Amino acid sequence: MAEAILEVRGLHKHYPLTRGVLFRKEVGSVRAVDGVDLTLRRGETLGVVGESGCGKSTAARLLVSLERPTAGSITYRGEDVTRLSGRALKAVRRNIQMVFQDPYTSLNPRMTVGDIVGEPFDIHPEAAPKGERRRRVRELLDVVGLNPEHINRYPHQFSGGQRQRIGIARGLALRPEIIVADEPVSALDVSVQAQVINLMARLQREFGLSYVFIAHDLSIVRHISDRVAVMYLGRIVESGRDSEIYDHPTHPYTQALLSAVPVPDPRARARRERIILTGDVPSPAAVPSGCRFRTRCWKARDVCAEEVPLLAVPQRLRGGLAGHESACHFAEEKRVVAPTP
Amino acid sequence: MPEQPFPPEGAIAGAGPGGAMDLTASEAGTLERHPRDPGADGSPAPPPGPDAPDPAGGRPRSLWSDAWRDLRRNPVFVVSSLIILFLVLISLWPSAIAPGNPLACDLAKAQQGSGPGHPFGYDGQGCDVYTRTVYGARTSVAVGVLATLGVAVLGSVLGALAGFFGGPWDAVLSRVTDIFFAIPVVLGGLVLLSVVTSTSVWPVIGFIVLLGWPQISRIARGAVITAQQHDYVQAARALGASSPRVLLRHIAPNAVAPVIVVSTIALGTYIALEATLSYLGVGLKPPSVSWGIDISAASPYVRNAPHALLWPSGALAVTVLAFIMLGDAVRDALDPKLR
Amino acid sequence: MLLDVRDLHVEFRTRDGVARAVNGVSFGVDAGETLAVLGESGSGKSVTAQAVMGILDTPPGRVTGGEVLFQGRDLLKLKEEERRRVRGAGMAMVFQDALSSLNPVLTVGDQLGEMFTVHRGMSRKDARAKAVELMDQVRIPAARERVRQYPHQFSGGMRQRVMIAMAIALEPALIIADEPTTALDVTVQAQVMDLLAELRREYRMGLVLITHDLGVVADVADRIAVMYAGRVVESAPVDDIYKAPAHPYTRGLLDSVPRLDLKGRELHAIRGLPPSLTDVPRGCAFHPRCPMARDVCRTDVPAPHEVSATRAAACHFWKECLNG
Repeated sequence: MAEAILEVRGLHKHYPLTRGVLFRKEVGSVRAVDGVDLTLRRGETLGVVGESGCGKSTAARLLVSLERPTAGSITYRGEDVTRLSGRALKAVRRNIQMVFQDPYTSLNPRMTVGDIVGEPFDIHPEAAPKGERRRRVRELLDVVGLNPEHINRYPHQFSGGQRQRIGIARGLALRPEIIVADEPVSALDVSVQAQVINLMARLQREFGLSYVFIAHDLSIVRHISDRVAVMYLGRIVESGRDSEIYDHPTHPYTQALLSAVPVPDPRARARRERIILTGDVPSPAAVPSGCRFRTRCWKARDVCAEEVPLLAVPQRLRGGLAGHESACHFAEEKRVVAPTP
Repeated sequence: MPEQPFPPEGAIAGAGPGGAMDLTASEAGTLERHPRDPGADGSPAPPPGPDAPDPAGGRPRSLWSDAWRDLRRNPVFVVSSLIILFLVLISLWPSAIAPGNPLACDLAKAQQGSGPGHPFGYDGQGCDVYTRTVYGARTSVAVGVLATLGVAVLGSVLGALAGFFGGPWDAVLSRVTDIFFAIPVVLGGLVLLSVVTSTSVWPVIGFIVLLGWPQISRIARGAVITAQQHDYVQAARALGASSPRVLLRHIAPNAVAPVIVVSTIALGTYIALEATLSYLGVGLKPPSVSWGIDISAASPYVRNAPHALLWPSGALAVTVLAFIMLGDAVRDALDPKLR
Repeated sequence: MLLDVRDLHVEFRTRDGVARAVNGVSFGVDAGETLAVLGESGSGKSVTAQAVMGILDTPPGRVTGGEVLFQGRDLLKLKEEERRRVRGAGMAMVFQDALSSLNPVLTVGDQLGEMFTVHRGMSRKDARAKAVELMDQVRIPAARERVRQYPHQFSGGMRQRVMIAMAIALEPALIIADEPTTALDVTVQAQVMDLLAELRREYRMGLVLITHDLGVVADVADRIAVMYAGRVVESAPVDDIYKAPAHPYTRGLLDSVPRLDLKGRELHAIRGLPPSLTDVPRGCAFHPRCPMARDVCRTDVPAPHEVSATRAAACHFWKECLNG
């Protein structure tokens, strides 16, 4: 197993809710990220999956230091990134880059593609000598499958998929070790999604990148991830290698999420068991006591309201493929995805 | 599975913003021109020649050049800018079309109608209305342009900083703008300007800047906050860009459009405000030449010599209208929602 | 046949010329049947739905040809007043974005009740009772209390239920749902799709489901019409299409869907981009992206070939495609 390159421990991000204009009073807080542990290993892809409001985007922003956590640590090369500032932080940023979800707002409409992809070199002049930059930008465009001759065009002259390639080229410019991708394909058409996913997989092989790949959908993640963490209301509820999560899920939420993914095969319709959850995700400003998932869980009993289940390998399941971390009092394997004959 | 070759998406969404705009929202944004270059057969495209034509016919199109293209085709813009150009020219060289002296008056000719060489007639003091109307443009344009510059610079700097840094700065600035908004403009002018004895245009300009900046600062603050939420600002921060860089390179170019639009419209209203203050006797004072002063002077004789009131009022109305029309046209061209 | 669209043409005037958003689209829906109109953005699927509903923005849009037969009448020949009566009572629409489709200053109960006071002339009190009944029907918990709440107090999934309640209020014969679950979370999507399917069975309504999601289609549709660049390229019963597509575009789409049950790191991708509607390629619109394209595809527009009694594909080489 490769060495850990990024270690997240006890990460919290709470946003205070205030009332009043002149005299602000704190009346509560939105617990967007509420105790997350993650480990990213060199050269692998860690998929983080959850529904909207589960805190996955906030987690991404914390990982790239766009926000400061309320508590917890993010360790990169033995240093806690959350305590860095100024020059030291800037140096870390060279190595942890981000790809954004919306290709329409993530590129400055007033800048040319060349300026956008070349901006990392302006900010980190030591990364490329001045005379080389233009050539490097052309190379980058070529690497992500764009025509280098289009260097002087503006973002609005490109389609969604092409814009996402521009965003990836910008993320790649400084040769980072880690790329945090926040739903990089969810705004794209199906046929273009596949192009971008394949591109990211190829770049990973070529440049030895480590990805944190955030998605709301388990099916996209399956194609690119080595390990998967499922998030619900600011916490990881289950994590493991991809075969453990997809073929041997033990947390009821993961099972529901897996069964909710439509399978594009009408013959599979009959074979699979559907778990349809009732109700919606509770607000992160009013998190249920005990297990957060209990309000929608069909297994919930009294203990679930009282005790917070910890993310750990359940005693009973140790040894087998179901023996991976799961935050449920009644963790139990349930096969949801029917294998294709 | 063999590796899928990556076809360079050589195609360009050349339709530009306009192509997509006219369709429904769900279909918009993907009206791309289809791939034409050889790359479409799945192999990497050989780079096109150095003179690969751009869809827009040569130069790359920016949002500004698109806006300019729209403006040139807009008759409202053409008419208003021709009027404004004319106003600017006569305020720079009034003697080119009005050879007389605006201060040379002959009481004997007071209130006379038009005559040869004096198409607009004479006012109550026997001054030539035509000459004075032409010279009045200079004051109006000077006050309008300088006050707008002052307001735009002060307002957008303060507003942008408040929007960008937020927190206590923002809270203080917001309260201060509230206070300025609460001051009635004309009453404030009467009070503040009545103590000034200078006859130059500067006190009036200063007063307009003092009361005008909160309007622009609010607009600028809002525009900066909106621009700041875009992912490209986050992307620049994630790259480690410094605050000045983020503000100047990413936020300002995307927040400047509404400031320009509002400033252009405000320019017209500042000209009207100068005339109002001068009419009330606290703005410019004789011997300065101003449409407001002339309107004020002519109003007692409006029954006997309506022309003396009509010409400066007409000039004022046309000027204000021209700037407001210009502002409207600019807004249509720059408004991102219509793009 | 409940709804029979024949050779529908819709054009848009844009700065860059005329966009043929819908270019000879034909399909039919029976009572109690679910037809999925499948396409990527820019395929003309939403414009088709709007033209059928009669809610196309004109200008810039314009229906330039074809027939929309609904219960035997051609809707395109009706006067606006008659058309309005058909909307609501005869056919209703569910939109993607429930939040912007609901009026934020009226309570949910008022908006549901309005359907009955306006169309059925009911008293406010009766209409309110009907509104509660409807909310029960679409399984909104505590309907009696929630009827007094405003749209923003509902979650995304609940708002979409309100939209569905509004659509079924007058018991229409046909519902057109334009990407009804795209804005929702995966676990909520399944709830909403199940609800739609159930209501369709209960009322024997026809359902036209406009979507880009092949997974959703496989779960609920009886028939599929696949659209590309303003045309229907393949239409068939759902099982046939998934078993063996008869058009290379359909095949490409199916292959590019990420799947839970098929592990593999490389996804198949359709190369290139969908065409601009102002500049659709000559011949078959798909030929620049098609792995099977030959010379004839660059010159001749393929007519829909009958693959079987219930199935048609607009491809010169459908036989080869069908055989893989």
